[in-house]
Amino acid sequence: MQHRNNKRVITRRDFLKTGSYAAAGSLVGLPLLRRASAQTSAKSRVVLIRDREVIGQDGNLNGHVLESMLDRAVTALLDAPDPKTAWGKLFRPNDVVGIKTNVWSPLPTPEALETALVFRLGQVGVKSGSIAVEDRDIRDNPVFMRSTALINVRPMRTHHWSGLGTLLKNYIMFVSAPWMYHGNSCERLGAIWKKPHVNGKTRLNILVMLTPLFHGIGPHHFSRRYLWPYAGLVVSTDPVAADATGARIIGAKRNEFFDSHRPISPPPLHIAAADTRFGLGNASADRIDLVRLGWGEQILI
Amino acid sequence: MTATQPFPPGRYRPVIPALLALLAGAAAMAMTEMTHAGSFTDLQPRLPTRVNGWQAAAEDRIFDDRTIFSYINGAGEVYRAYNMQACLSRRYVKKGDTVIILDVFDMGAPEDAFGVFTHDTDGVRIDIGQDARFRPGWLSFWQNRFFVSIYVEEESAAAEQAVKALGRQVATIAGKPGRRPQILEMLPTKGLDTGSIRYLHHPIVLNYHYYLFDENILHLSPQVDATLASYSRSGEQARLLLIRYPQTQTARKSLAGFRTHYLPDADSAGAARLENGRWSAVRLAGRLLTVALEADSRQLAENLLNEAGRNAAKE
Repeated sequence: MQHRNNKRVITRRDFLKTGSYAAAGSLVGLPLLRRASAQTSAKSRVVLIRDREVIGQDGNLNGHVLESMLDRAVTALLDAPDPKTAWGKLFRPNDVVGIKTNVWSPLPTPEALETALVFRLGQVGVKSGSIAVEDRDIRDNPVFMRSTALINVRPMRTHHWSGLGTLLKNYIMFVSAPWMYHGNSCERLGAIWKKPHVNGKTRLNILVMLTPLFHGIGPHHFSRRYLWPYAGLVVSTDPVAADATGARIIGAKRNEFFDSHRPISPPPLHIAAADTRFGLGNASADRIDLVRLGWGEQILI
Repeated sequence: MTATQPFPPGRYRPVIPALLALLAGAAAMAMTEMTHAGSFTDLQPRLPTRVNGWQAAAEDRIFDDRTIFSYINGAGEVYRAYNMQACLSRRYVKKGDTVIILDVFDMGAPEDAFGVFTHDTDGVRIDIGQDARFRPGWLSFWQNRFFVSIYVEEESAAAEQAVKALGRQVATIAGKPGRRPQILEMLPTKGLDTGSIRYLHHPIVLNYHYYLFDENILHLSPQVDATLASYSRSGEQARLLLIRYPQTQTARKSLAGFRTHYLPDADSAGAARLENGRWSAVRLAGRLLTVALEADSRQLAENLLNEAGRNAAKE
């Protein structure tokens, strides 16, 4: 159906035609949106690394273990002989790097991980004045404004509007009107990644799954009851593949915890749409080369 | 949503603690047309300072419809979609035990307090306030013009008892029972799943519960009442959407938009078979748009529309 200015109105029936509305939670993809071309040729590598020692008996994170996990993941991701070489493949000394973190108070990006990222960038030769770690004020941050590269790092959690708070969702602060992306389970989040000040800059995506939130309640969408010590990081240059991998783990955890099929609600449509509509990466498992490292118990994928 | 933009865009702002005096003035202005309602500032001094050994900690924090985002992130959109006037947050602490967080949302009108309550009706029914649900770690209810959320960061038996005791106390001081939205009376009663009833004004809330369009084709706005509910009759299922407009012209426009964009293949009775084999039908009864969504049979869709139309005629 055409609407004003020939814009096509997307309706529920478009989803019913392909049966994909019910299946959206399984990330099979959206209807009517032709697959974008950029990501179809190759599989995306995703490294899932876990180490049970990263979370101590007291619940505190072990920063040294976390840093080691990061290095191992990046090295494996890039088929590099050592971490230094791996980081050198991603960044150059003259890069200006914005590290898009997440400060949501119940489950923020661990400071130890931010520190490790800054340290590794420094080792590559990036100047300290050319590195910024920021979340809500990125649009006003001078480093982000002149950035040549971005690192995207955030914890995985369920989310009221988008189903999941993902790497894709983490860039919503790059726009001045985030609420404009809340419709239809935030399905259009991929559009943000196409904006000129974002497009093509992201070199590394780190989905933090140390203690992910697999279900939310109440206005704050949070309860410690629904955190679990998964002790993992999901690392990729492809944000869609990393998110899709994380989504499968969350989905499996929900089914296990609730002892029934309990799909993520609302369905995280934006992950599949980022693949099929915006061409940002690969969402389907058959186009993801998943490398599992470390602790294997209860891996759920 | 671009077809119409009846909702002013919100903004994310840094935390700005509201001045109580200023809030009192704003709340008083907002309440001039309210019945029953005790004022928000009347309520605050009467909120419990102690409950089952938990003690109110620090000062209350108060948020308005813009600063709410700094408190509950993007979920603030839900409360804005129901005309939230203010939110008061109080923390209760007890040495060696979990924090209890009380959030009282002044929704301006009982109908909207009911509406925001219906946004999430998971959980066990519990006799607190006008309607309440309890899930592990979270109690929600509505009373008068207030929606109340009480949650704990860590669960324990003692905390659960305290949460329920706190809820009962807050419900008692929140004022007389408020009106339920009148549009609910137009819902056919036979086969109605009362736990499925949603009351709303905003397309973002409709789309959360039942995605229909990526634009505001149905012209939802703060002046428009809508309810969505599920039915089960003789093994058949359906959903019914009722939307009552202040003006007939808007109702007609919405009917036309629905038929154009969703049911272009509808027959003269306004019914069409969907791609999944279920039926949808739409009809206008005065200013009331009635829409059957994914009914298992044409008969069920038409029965629901007929009955809703008859209920509307009794108005």
